[in-house]
Amino acid sequence: MGIRLLIILFFFLVSNSGETRPISYSGGSTAMTFSDNMKNSIYYHFSPSHKYSLGIEAIEDKFFGSNYSYFRFTYLLDRKNTQNSQRNLYFQSGVSSKGFDNFFYGIHGDWETRRLFFGFSLKQVENEKKDYYDQSYQLGFAPYLGNYGDLHTWIMLKTKRNSLISEWSTYPVLKFFKGNVLMEFGYNDKTEWDLHLMYRF
Amino acid sequence: MKRTFLIFVLFAPLSWSAHAHEHMNHTTTLEHNGHSHDHHYNQLVIEKNAEVDSERFIKFIENLTGSQIAVVNVEGMVCDFCARGIEKTFLKDINVKRIDVDLNQGKVLIAYTSEAEIDFNDIKQKILSNGQNATGMQIIKL
Repeated sequence: MGIRLLIILFFFLVSNSGETRPISYSGGSTAMTFSDNMKNSIYYHFSPSHKYSLGIEAIEDKFFGSNYSYFRFTYLLDRKNTQNSQRNLYFQSGVSSKGFDNFFYGIHGDWETRRLFFGFSLKQVENEKKDYYDQSYQLGFAPYLGNYGDLHTWIMLKTKRNSLISEWSTYPVLKFFKGNVLMEFGYNDKTEWDLHLMYRF
Repeated sequence: MKRTFLIFVLFAPLSWSAHAHEHMNHTTTLEHNGHSHDHHYNQLVIEKNAEVDSERFIKFIENLTGSQIAVVNVEGMVCDFCARGIEKTFLKDINVKRIDVDLNQGKVLIAYTSEAEIDFNDIKQKILSNGQNATGMQIIKL
């Protein structure tokens, strides 16, 4: 895939809350776009250490029809590494450019082997219009085990619920990554596309 | 089919024996925490899980004559995307000539210049800064 096409994709896929690895390596940066039925966003974060990241997320809120930014802080609460797995638990938070009355907080966790993945995200969002609670869970498996540098593929099942909509939405998600680029696509006939593109540098 | 084997068996005796002639009475082994008892003899470091993929290793050491290869066992290295920082961090070190990540074996291969002093604590810190844990290391002199 050419760099030009990648850049075009990056700026047009405008996205949801791509929570895959919310903290990078020390000194690392991550840029991502996310799009789902609730929002489009572009998010950049920097990790001064492997324990936390600071970032800014520009959001087009589809539900409330407004645009704003979040100044985000994510902290690694717990990590367990074994020879064949890694488990993470993160605290996630953000304060809106609209003011300190608009913010979110929650936890995000995952457990992963080379073959299996489980992740979840629980988030409480407070704003001047209506507070809401957002949760998602994701289960996945890798159909093959690629080497370092190969194209890696994950087949996943995601279920999510937002208290504003009060309905569970469950759908398949395909995740691909190669090198520093990660792409994720999910589709549900009710909520339509989840699109997520991430670049780490 | 890719075979795994104890690289120590094949490669380590070569470098060990060469060194042994010079320092017959000195045996240097780093403790599990990476502390060297004698920094003058940064020799073989054997820890648990020293297996590497033979084909991968042979490919890795192509044109690296005179280098030192650190084979580092890493826990939590389950994903290519998450291991990218390891490569980026080590390649900032001017003494590092090449690096490879073996996700299947949970190993990182780091080729250092022949004169570099390899410090396991430094390697552990670099791996940790990427979110994984280095639990053992072996140094092979080519």
